[in-house]
Amino acid sequence: MLFSYILQFVPDRTEAGTLLVDIFSRLTPQLQEAFDSNLSIYCWLQVESRKILLEYIQSKGKTDAGEPVAPSIGGNTRAYYFSLLEDAPPEHQWVFRELFLYGREKEELALHSGKDLAYISRVLRECFGVIRKNLG
Amino acid sequence: MFRRHQKKFGVNIELYMQSGIIESYALGLATPEEAGEFEQLLPHYPELKDALSDFEYHLELFSIDHEIPPPPDVREKIEARLRGVPVLPHAGGGQYRQQHGQLRSEYVQAKETSQHIRVHKVWRPLFIAVFILSKIFLVLAIYFFLEYRHARSQVQRLSEPAGRAQGAGSEGK
Repeated sequence: MLFSYILQFVPDRTEAGTLLVDIFSRLTPQLQEAFDSNLSIYCWLQVESRKILLEYIQSKGKTDAGEPVAPSIGGNTRAYYFSLLEDAPPEHQWVFRELFLYGREKEELALHSGKDLAYISRVLRECFGVIRKNLG
Repeated sequence: MFRRHQKKFGVNIELYMQSGIIESYALGLATPEEAGEFEQLLPHYPELKDALSDFEYHLELFSIDHEIPPPPDVREKIEARLRGVPVLPHAGGGQYRQQHGQLRSEYVQAKETSQHIRVHKVWRPLFIAVFILSKIFLVLAIYFFLEYRHARSQVQRLSEPAGRAQGAGSEGK
């Protein structure tokens, strides 16, 4: 199940397989945290995996000088959770992609897009509404 | 009850849930402050816990429905890594490790706390066969022991009249 989740961030299957091995080896010593968490084990795994994946994507997306480049590496924006947003407006999909897939902060996104924070928060809330509706 | 909590924490829980905090928290999009606040409120509002469990349940169902199996060698690699056996790098793989050096460490620091051992499945029929054979030998041992005792008592019984007859014969002389 986690492999499909990883493929959202890294569409290349070989690369995703390598990351899956790395994720398990990094998260195994923290398993006690999973049991202590308020989240279910699977959701905890997803959340922690996302942190590792974002770290990976961000390191991959840096120039030789260490400056971040536009986060356009990988990311299957039609798969998995994004398939739940297919009927959402493009702007909603964009906001969710930037926040979820590329790990941008809401404030950063607001600044970057010239919108205010309340607007970004509202769009994200609406995205959650669409996701909830499509999850059933 | 609800009003008391609302007063205590100053939170309208319905509005709070509508803010998308459940989804943010479950998907890992909540800021540390939002997550901290949510974790503080969670024990006091069963509705929050129920909503979180419900969302997690639907996410898991979705994940099961959209499962893509990983490449077949991934499981072996994970097990090998977890056992501390180095995995031989293959061409084109290990990009992440190449970029990140050896991550935090080459091996996972595993602590053995279990009192159980794991053996290969092949041993199961073997153990069953040994168990059955031991029972058969036990039954045979008991059987032959009883047979031996029976035979010995018969020999004794047969030898007694012969001895008595011998004794009587010598007295007559």
